[in-house]
Amino acid sequence: MLLQQLANGVFAGSIYALFAIGFTLVFGVLRHLNLAHPAVFTAGAFVGIEVAARTAIPVWILFPVVALFGALAGVLVERIAFRPLRGRDDEHFAGLISSVALGGVVIALLQARYGTEPQSFSADYFPNQLFEFAGVRVTLTQLVTLGLALVLMLGLAWLVSATSLGRSMRAVAENPTAAKVLGVNVGRVTAGTYALSSALGTVAGALLALNLGQAGRDLGASIELVGFAVIILGGLGSLWGAMAAGVVLGIAEALTIHLFDSTWKSMVAFALLFAVLVLRPRGLFGQVKVREV
Amino acid sequence: MLAGYDTLITTIALFAILAYSFHVVLMAGQLSLGQAGFASLAAYVSTLVVPTEPIAGSLSPVLVGLPVGALVGAAAAFVVGLPVLRLRGVFLAIATIAFGEMVRVVINNAEWTNGALGVRVEKWVTFDFAWIIVAVLAYLFWRLGPSRSGRAFAAVREDELAAGAMGVDVVRTRMASFVASGAIAGVYGVMFAYFFGRITPATFDFALTVDGLITAVLGGYLVFFGPVLGAGFLTLVPEIQKALGLEAGWIHPLVTGTLLLAVVLFLPGGLSTLFSRLRRAPARPGPDYAPLDSLDPLPDPGTPIASVTGLAKSYGAVDAVRGVDLEIRSGEVLGVIGPNGAGKTTLVNMISGLEPPTAGEGQILGVPLGSRPHRFAQAGVSRTFQHSKLFERLTVLDNVLVGTHVVSRSTYLRRLLWLPSARRDERRALALAWAQLERVGLADRAGLRPGALSYGDRRRLEIARALAAHPTLLILDEPAAGMNHVEAAELATLIRGLADDGVTVLFIEHNVKMVLEACTRLVVLDFGEVIAEGEPREVASDPRVIEAYLGTEAEAPEESEHV
Repeated sequence: MLLQQLANGVFAGSIYALFAIGFTLVFGVLRHLNLAHPAVFTAGAFVGIEVAARTAIPVWILFPVVALFGALAGVLVERIAFRPLRGRDDEHFAGLISSVALGGVVIALLQARYGTEPQSFSADYFPNQLFEFAGVRVTLTQLVTLGLALVLMLGLAWLVSATSLGRSMRAVAENPTAAKVLGVNVGRVTAGTYALSSALGTVAGALLALNLGQAGRDLGASIELVGFAVIILGGLGSLWGAMAAGVVLGIAEALTIHLFDSTWKSMVAFALLFAVLVLRPRGLFGQVKVREV
Repeated sequence: MLAGYDTLITTIALFAILAYSFHVVLMAGQLSLGQAGFASLAAYVSTLVVPTEPIAGSLSPVLVGLPVGALVGAAAAFVVGLPVLRLRGVFLAIATIAFGEMVRVVINNAEWTNGALGVRVEKWVTFDFAWIIVAVLAYLFWRLGPSRSGRAFAAVREDELAAGAMGVDVVRTRMASFVASGAIAGVYGVMFAYFFGRITPATFDFALTVDGLITAVLGGYLVFFGPVLGAGFLTLVPEIQKALGLEAGWIHPLVTGTLLLAVVLFLPGGLSTLFSRLRRAPARPGPDYAPLDSLDPLPDPGTPIASVTGLAKSYGAVDAVRGVDLEIRSGEVLGVIGPNGAGKTTLVNMISGLEPPTAGEGQILGVPLGSRPHRFAQAGVSRTFQHSKLFERLTVLDNVLVGTHVVSRSTYLRRLLWLPSARRDERRALALAWAQLERVGLADRAGLRPGALSYGDRRRLEIARALAAHPTLLILDEPAAGMNHVEAAELATLIRGLADDGVTVLFIEHNVKMVLEACTRLVVLDFGEVIAEGEPREVASDPRVIEAYLGTEAEAPEESEHV
């Protein structure tokens, strides 16, 4: 029973992590907290469901399609909500508000297209096979989720550490002005960062919808606060931190359900979040910088 | 006539109250989002504590509940603020969101709150009562704006470091805005309960926080009536939509989102700035004010005003300043020179309280080293910064008015009561500020924003702001950087004039010619240590100084490059 809960926690945690690394990537590179991310996440779920229903393409083609949509959406989010604010005195604060506003617009557009009812994957879209390991029952969907999340996270880590785009991203994160002077195309890196972040976000959304079988407009809102908790626990801007914190939080929630009941589930995330912020603002895994100025 | 619109009009009022609880923290630049939690606690405590029947025959429960709610909200904010206000920006935002959600979960699970079912009370709030509360809040904020406290809020919002250096107690100001926000959120919670007659844990959720924030930002947090405007606008959007016969549910969020986006992108101060752009240019106060008479006299020339010994600062393994001994006497103009990275700025940061020293002791005007910056400012230390730190969204005049913080008294409470003495004090501060603007030659630009000034004028504005504090010790960190020869010569004249008036000046400068012209004593730093000190000409010809600072060529360069 406990083992089952732990396994469920790991699966939930892998979606949290996937959602949160998109959040934290943009913050780490550009110091933007993109609050439209939950809405893009929700849009990913809806688009995934619609594409699956219309084309009946298999799941391994569905996710790249969703990711492509997400990348496009990410570029648009940056263009609309962040780029016009560049260089303004209140850039960071205004970016929070403009991305909240854009998120609201995205949700309204989803409502215009799909109505107020939740959308569902058709029951036979993905085989709901059940496996059993040492008494722990796992669905095929959960395995795919975990696998895909792992592949994407490792892929992102590789991309950031070993490719030229990743090198440029790290340069911009360190010092945008210096990066520009040294010939890094900051505009392209910015767009690329948003594209990656949103692609991960939409895939996470579609994965969660696949696990739940359906998606409502509040899918993103329901995970947004947990996402905050994950990125803070992991140390804002830290990819590995967000991955670890996502899983930690998933397990912590599962344990809370096991020990108390589900109404206390979200308390864990916020209590942990609050404690970490007050006691160790750099996060559990974040490193202390010597001097920021 | 209004019968059919009762609920609508009251809803606008309630939203305005909620928005004011965001307004007050945004004014001080704090992105605090725990209002839903404060409102929830206040609503639950007051509805459960206050009897449901009118007290003493006529006092309705809401009248008793409001002070209770405000008090609960304020107390909760204070307790939460103690640990949380060490955080800033998104960290503060997320921590306060977490607090709000924790309150919701606890109330949802507690016995005394009746769990998810919530609490029912009688409806006592009528629309006129709701609007009286809004009017009171609007009045409080209207009187706050152009007061000493209002300027302190604005200064903290624009630049905490500069605000502290001008004598504003940043910690206290942030806490004051946070507690006020808790109190107003508490009022909102109680009003909500006694208007809708029912509260549940879900009433005060994250969506409410987002709504309140949006309302406050849309209306604008730089003008006192912003929340009312924002609330009216957002509440009327669905009504207008209905009137136009557009029934689809998605139009309302679409319009709201687009509107908010447009305001943030194109109208940074919110809707209310549309109505406040017509402000008159500030006028010089009449000649009947002689503000300088009322200021404390400066210490006699030659009096020691500061002494430090063994002052050191290290960042990790880097020793920025090592074992510096320094004594400053009243009336001198002390120049500090040294190569880049010699520790000059770190030295003055410690002397003005911006950074605590790692080692060493001493006092500046009686204030021990390591105290918070506003203590130094209150004692008479005033400074400018190497990279100018002006309050960008205040006018030139208001920037200088912030400078008068330490030589004026708080006027807010007296302004609420329209006491003539408050008006007198504000006029005095205004006259002081004008005098400084005229002293540096910026009087004709008083109504502009700093962003509209040339580089040299921005440096002059910083000096005027620092002078408005009537400092005993004025610290200038590279005041001539970026100035041309004429401007630098004018600055040297100004500095000598200040010394004649009895102001002690400590200045860091790379322009050696100017240093030699202006200062009476020169200190040379290299690698964090004093390598020479004394009469300027002598020091400048010291071979060690020439080697360390001027390079190996003996000729002092006319214009030293500024990096």
